[in-house]
Amino acid sequence: MSRLPTSIGAALDRLVDASPVERIVISIASLLFAVAVGAVLVLVSGFVTECDDPFVLLPGVGYGCYNPLEVYWTMLEGAFGSSSGLGRTLQETTLLLFTGLSVAVAFRAGLFNIGTQGQMVLGALATALVVLELGQLVPQNVVGMVIVIPVGIAAGALAGGIWGMIPGLMKAYADAHEVITTIMLNFIATGVALYLVQNHVGDLTSDSVLTETIPSVARFPTSISDSRFSMYALIGALLVAVGISLLYTRTILGYELRTSGIQETAAEYSGVNAKRNIVTSMTLSGALGGVAGAIYVMMVQYRWQSGIPALGFDGIAVSILAGNNPIGVIPASLLFGGLKSGSVAIDLSLGVPNELVDVLRGLIILFIAMPEFFRMLGKWSGFGSDPVGASGGEEA
Amino acid sequence: MERRTFLTSVGVGATAGMAGCLVDNGDGDDEADVTVGIVYSTGGLGDESFNDMAYSGIEDAESDFDIDYQDAEPDTVADMNDMQRQFAGDEDIDLVCCIGFDHETDLIENADEFDDQRFVIIDAVVDADNVDSYVFREHEGSFQVGHLAGLLTETEYAHAGGETNPDDSIVGFVGGEETSLIERFEAGYIAGAEYVDDSIETPSAYAGSWDDPSTGQEIANGMYEDGADVVYHSAGGTGGGVFESAQSYERFAIGVDDDQSLSAEESSDVIVASMIKRVDNAVYDSIESVVEDEFEGGDTNDLGLEEDGVDAVIGQDFEDDLPDDIVNALEDSRQQIIDGDIDVPDNLDDL
Repeated sequence: MSRLPTSIGAALDRLVDASPVERIVISIASLLFAVAVGAVLVLVSGFVTECDDPFVLLPGVGYGCYNPLEVYWTMLEGAFGSSSGLGRTLQETTLLLFTGLSVAVAFRAGLFNIGTQGQMVLGALATALVVLELGQLVPQNVVGMVIVIPVGIAAGALAGGIWGMIPGLMKAYADAHEVITTIMLNFIATGVALYLVQNHVGDLTSDSVLTETIPSVARFPTSISDSRFSMYALIGALLVAVGISLLYTRTILGYELRTSGIQETAAEYSGVNAKRNIVTSMTLSGALGGVAGAIYVMMVQYRWQSGIPALGFDGIAVSILAGNNPIGVIPASLLFGGLKSGSVAIDLSLGVPNELVDVLRGLIILFIAMPEFFRMLGKWSGFGSDPVGASGGEEA
Repeated sequence: MERRTFLTSVGVGATAGMAGCLVDNGDGDDEADVTVGIVYSTGGLGDESFNDMAYSGIEDAESDFDIDYQDAEPDTVADMNDMQRQFAGDEDIDLVCCIGFDHETDLIENADEFDDQRFVIIDAVVDADNVDSYVFREHEGSFQVGHLAGLLTETEYAHAGGETNPDDSIVGFVGGEETSLIERFEAGYIAGAEYVDDSIETPSAYAGSWDDPSTGQEIANGMYEDGADVVYHSAGGTGGGVFESAQSYERFAIGVDDDQSLSAEESSDVIVASMIKRVDNAVYDSIESVVEDEFEGGDTNDLGLEEDGVDAVIGQDFEDDLPDDIVNALEDSRQQIIDGDIDVPDNLDDL
């Protein structure tokens, strides 16, 4: 028995000490492994279902309905192979960049913001309402667009920021744990938005709960045919990722934000106003969630409608996959975006059930995230040759 | 040891690969006369209700006509636009069926942009030359099941998995999302119950989702706890929880859209009736019109009791067991609705 912990410890040591190249190799190997496991799963489930046009017949076993190669190929081609697929991938990537960054910003300050979803929902609603009003006042041309879109983003950031500030204040001044408060505020945000749109500010003639459609002057200019994706939004998201990375590594404010969240008393002792910084971190995090909502309205749906996708929750997974590193959020959201887009393509063209595709997505994410997760865990518990456990499990 | 296992599995795999013969699939797509693209609503397939009805319509059409279909299940409303556009822009597809009112706003724009594609929308009206709309007078069918629920709660009745509670006269309603469409179900149902006796209590609640059976069960638990004899749901997949609740309290429930005593057969001992909405016929008819080259577009089909678009059907376990006076009363009210003698409200304000 005593040998077992040692060997696990050695493995964790090895994992924590892995060089960047080794980590990339590990990630790619994990991806391949996930694909292989998924292929077996797809093949096996194909034998236990019935379908009209099986692709293979194994004597004694029966007909196999799903061809794993076809499934993966459709996924890949659906995500990157056509203009509409690529647009869908990049659209999703852009949104996940913002929600992922929202979660990462809070994480770096030692705060767990599960409320990105609610901040996004309210940000989206604020944007929709502001651009619906403003869109009527400005000239219907590029000039109008230059006015309306930034104002729309600001409105989303403001609403999301305020919604993020509330749990920040509760954490700093009332000692209420942000995990609990942000989860609860998600429900409140969805409920408030639903009530307002259904009864007051929405299109009351429709059976669906939605606002009017926003005018063309409030829509991001599209960059790819057959898609609403806009390059401007993606470039903006990338710049924000770089900016946040610089904020935390190169500025005094970033340093103070981190210390306040991770070690409040130490921060106070060294003359930093830790409480205010907790509020600042949560507000910044909420504002990013709000911007995700703004982009969603102005680039994806062109209106606010109940049932906004769970991008805020996906952001948590994106951030963890990225080791909470703002730059790492970029490839992580591209992976999530590609998987989402690919699974839509499978749904459109193959008879493979949605649930099975979700399992494939889950496998890939799980396999890629696990080594990083254990690495964080190992680092946290002081394994590796540089056992500094106080970094909050983050990646530099 | 490891190596041997590996070799064995490779061997098995290779043998299986050689023995298995590839079956030509899917590429028969081009051979069919008509290809249909169908986009469901967010409740998705397997709801044993609305979407499954649409699915059975397309399955029927597939067995009767030379058609192929592709279907798509949106995870969220936001996916609907993309899926509509994918199908609309696909040259092989001759008809795009949009199942559910959430498609309305996107379809208005897409029907305009893809003006040489044919569309059908269920549960909403889109006013365009290339769109046929099917809407149902759900309040009429709901009045019927409300009438039945009202009669049951005033009677002492026990059969199959349930019995009524003679002390209280309460019948409940569980909705999915709170929209004016579902309000039609609710209004018709309450009017039907009150048609029996004004003093019958009619609590109603919304689960806020089409695919959340556990909330559906919680709501129904509360209603049965308070003494409700019958709970009617109009909540898609959420309704599964209502049936489970009815079974645990040994009371009755009423299904929706499909004859749920068949589609949710495991609960047939409590499903005394279902308000069926012939979404399957609507899908089937629209495909038939394309196959027969009779699709005109711009039509709105408003289907009620008279057109057999909606109906109250008795559950399979209760078919020959309900007291005659209840069955006769239902038959009377049905005729009176068709004749216009009973005016069924389609919203709560007109109750």
